Order: sequence, then C-alpha cells, then structure tokens
Amino acid sequence: MTLDYAWLLDPLYQRWLLNGISTTVLLSLLGIVLMFVIGIIGAAFLHLNVRYLQTPTTIFVELFRNTPPLVQLFFLYFMLSDIGLTLTDPATGRSIPLFTGFTCVVLSLGLYNGAIAVEIIRSGLLAVPSQTVEGARALGYTRLQTFRHVELPIGLRLCIPPMASNIVSLIKTSSQAVLVAVADVMYGATQIMLETFRNLEVMLLIWVVYLVITGVAVLIVRRIAAAVRIPGYGS
Amino acid sequence: MNAHVKIFLVGVLGVTLVLVALFVAVYGADSGAILRDVAGRTPLLLSGSADFSAFEGGFAANIVISLWAMALAAVAGTALGVGMISQSAVIRGPSVLVMNLLRNSPWLVVLYAMLYLLPFEVRIFGRFIEISPMIKATIGLALPVTANIAEVFRGGVESVPTGQWESARALGYRRLQILRRVVVPQAIPIMTPNLMTTYAMLFIGSSLVVVTGTHDVLSVARTVIASDGDHVATAVYLYILYLFFLFCFPIAILTRWLEQRVRVRK
Repeated sequence: MTLDYAWLLDPLYQRWLLNGISTTVLLSLLGIVLMFVIGIIGAAFLHLNVRYLQTPTTIFVELFRNTPPLVQLFFLYFMLSDIGLTLTDPATGRSIPLFTGFTCVVLSLGLYNGAIAVEIIRSGLLAVPSQTVEGARALGYTRLQTFRHVELPIGLRLCIPPMASNIVSLIKTSSQAVLVAVADVMYGATQIMLETFRNLEVMLLIWVVYLVITGVAVLIVRRIAAAVRIPGYGS
Repeated sequence: MNAHVKIFLVGVLGVTLVLVALFVAVYGADSGAILRDVAGRTPLLLSGSADFSAFEGGFAANIVISLWAMALAAVAGTALGVGMISQSAVIRGPSVLVMNLLRNSPWLVVLYAMLYLLPFEVRIFGRFIEISPMIKATIGLALPVTANIAEVFRGGVESVPTGQWESARALGYRRLQILRRVVVPQAIPIMTPNLMTTYAMLFIGSSLVVVTGTHDVLSVARTVIASDGDHVATAVYLYILYLFFLFCFPIAILTRWLEQRVRVRK
C-alpha cells in the first residue's frame, strides 16, 4: 500500500484545508469561552448553595454529561430551526437564521463540556484549603467577595490538569460539526475525498492536523498554568 | 448510599420533566399526536426491527458495539499499560507515545480512518471473511479507548504502595509475576470506578458510529425522520437523548457510589 499525497499541492485543496482549520479553531475557541462561562456560573450556584438554583443546576449537569454531544447537536439543530428565530442583516435587509449550524455546534460544545466543567471547577473549589477561606472571612470579606477574590482564583488554578483534558476533549468533539454541514477541517477533508478518492491519505492527514491542534492547545495551557502559578498551590 | 439515591431520583425526575417541557414547548397542541407517532416507533429505535423480532440495530446495536469495543480496548489497553510502566525505555517510550497519540485523536477521525484503512474483507486460510461496518465501528471505537484504559491501568498500579513491590521482590517474584499476583489484584478496586467512567464515555461515543453505516440508533432515527417527515425530528432526537440518559445516568451514579466506598476504605 503506497500513500499518494500529490493532491496536497493543489492550491484549491490547500485553501479548503486552511479555511477548515481556521473554522475548527474558531469553533473551539468560542466553545471554550462558553464552556468556562457555564462551568463557572454552575459551579458558583452549587458551591454557594444558592437556594432554588442548586437542583436545576444538578439536573442540567446530569442531563448534558450523560448524553452524547452528537445527539445534543442534532436536537439543537432541529429544535432551533423549528423555532426559526431570525436576525435582520442591517446591510442587505435580508433575514438570516439566528441558529445556523455553526451556532448550534458552539452551543452543543459549550453545553456538553460546560456540564463537565461545572464538576471540574467545583472539585477545584473544594480543594481550596479551608484555612485560606477562613482567613478571608476573618479579614471581613463577605461570602461573595471570598468566592470572587479568594476561592475562584485559587480553585481555577487547582483544576488546570482536568480542565486541560476537558479542553482537548472539546477540540476533538468539534469534529462533529461536519455532520451538520459546518465547513470545518473535517468538512474540507470529506470534500477532498469526494474529488480525489484518496480517502485514507486525507483521513491520516486530518488525524495529524487534529493531533497538532490539540498538542498546541496543551502547550498553551501549560504556559498559562506556569504564568499564573501561585507558589504553594498546585504543582 | 442515601445521598446517591436522592441525586438519582432528582436526576431522573428532573430530566424527564425538562425533556417533557421541551417537547410540549416545541409542539404545543400537536404534542399528543406526535407523541403517539414516535412511541409507535419504539421497537424500531430500540432493536432495529419493527416488532422486537431481532436485536441487530437501533439502540441494541449501540450496546453490542460498545460492549465489544470495551472488551477489545480492555485487552489492548492493559497491554499498553504494562508497556507504559516497563523498566526498559525502549518499550516505555513508544508505549507512552502511542497512548498520547490515541488519546488526543478525535473519535470521528479514527472511525473514518478505520473505514478506509481496514479492508473490505480478509482472507484467512483460504476463506473470505467480510469485515462489516459493525466490526470497523467496533475497532474504531476501541482504539481511542485503549489509551484511556492504559492510563487507568497505570494510575491504578501506581496507587499501590511501593512497599508491596519491594516485599514481593524480596520473596523472589519476577516483575510480571508481581504485577499479576500482587499489585494488580490490589489495584482493581481503585481501577473499577475509572473503568466504569471509561465505559460510560465509550457508550456516549458510540453515537458516532452512524458515520460508518452501521444500523445504530441514530441511523434508524434518520430513516424514521425520512419516512415520517421533518416535523418529528425534534421529538425523535429528544427520545434518543432520553434513551442515552437512562442508560448512562445509573452507571454514573453507581460509579460515584463505588468511588466513595473505595475512598472510605483507604
């Protein structure tokens, strides 16, 4: 079996791949932002014992953690297009659907990995030494101030290792975008396969592309972890 | 156990309510008719046949594929895990590399790659054996999970105190013998919850096998939507969401209970 990569010299295919990679990176970045928003808010509700919000948060976490992100994506895609919210483009006056495939992918990534992030951040918050929290209370910080200025900053640093694998999982999951026809790197790959029939070569290349993207993500997380390290907390 | 039972009940009741509310919000006055339509498709979605006569497709196929993939990954993952804690760098280096490569590759890409990498049929002793999409899906799912199991194995072995190794060495056991007879039996209680989490993850990932052309629950769902019309799509996907939840949530709760028990015993 010989591998033929001559098609890679074609500028059209190169452009498809590069556009796909930038879409995948953009999807992942937006997904990561949404994941952190959901994770921090959910963990805050659970940690601060907010009355009436704890049970809904638990239900949300259990629902999205225990179901496949792919089914969530299809469900969001079909339900939101049924509801059919549209935005009016100010430039052309045309109405464009608010929930495109792209939005649905970002939402499903944020919801699935966000539900996992809630648990990760919560365990980080629980790992903050109780003396530190008591010290903050003794200095006159309110419960909310303690959370905002002491528990959250330290807790987030303590949960960096599991969060890194959650981010890698989010990037990997973003490849599902192809199944709702978002032009990510997998989509570019399927298009190239349709034209060249070099299925195996294309897939192996995409495999490497994802390994590089996740590898870079892990490196960035390590740099951030080293930059924000507080001596004495975490390794 | 009581706290876990409470979370279980809250979770099951709460999620049921949330999904029913979503269903009614989407369909409004048509809810009853749509619910009857989709409920009529239950045998097809669960077993791939219209009257439970066979269990070769639908949700049953997901369960079968996930069990086989777990069995394959358990064998391969243990081997990889043993390689990762080997004393010789020649074995350890490549094992760690393979583990990291497999762990960082997207499942969907591995599944697609297996679809094209594995031949259509193989010839063993002059007989042609067809490699069905189901077998390809199983192997494609097992590969990334192998990495997770290898990690679980390494973590479990490393959690056993080194004194166990030293005393077994003093009794004259060889390295593999120590692993098999002394260390692994003690590591199993610690590894079990992590293995169950891995299985739940694998089961959730088994929804992806739809791309290999297997008759799993999602491809049956597509057939149902194609024949009954687009308006049932939301209802069908809600139903599948609920099926997956009902399968995975008890595993998650059981895992947490076991985890706590192991921690208490330590």
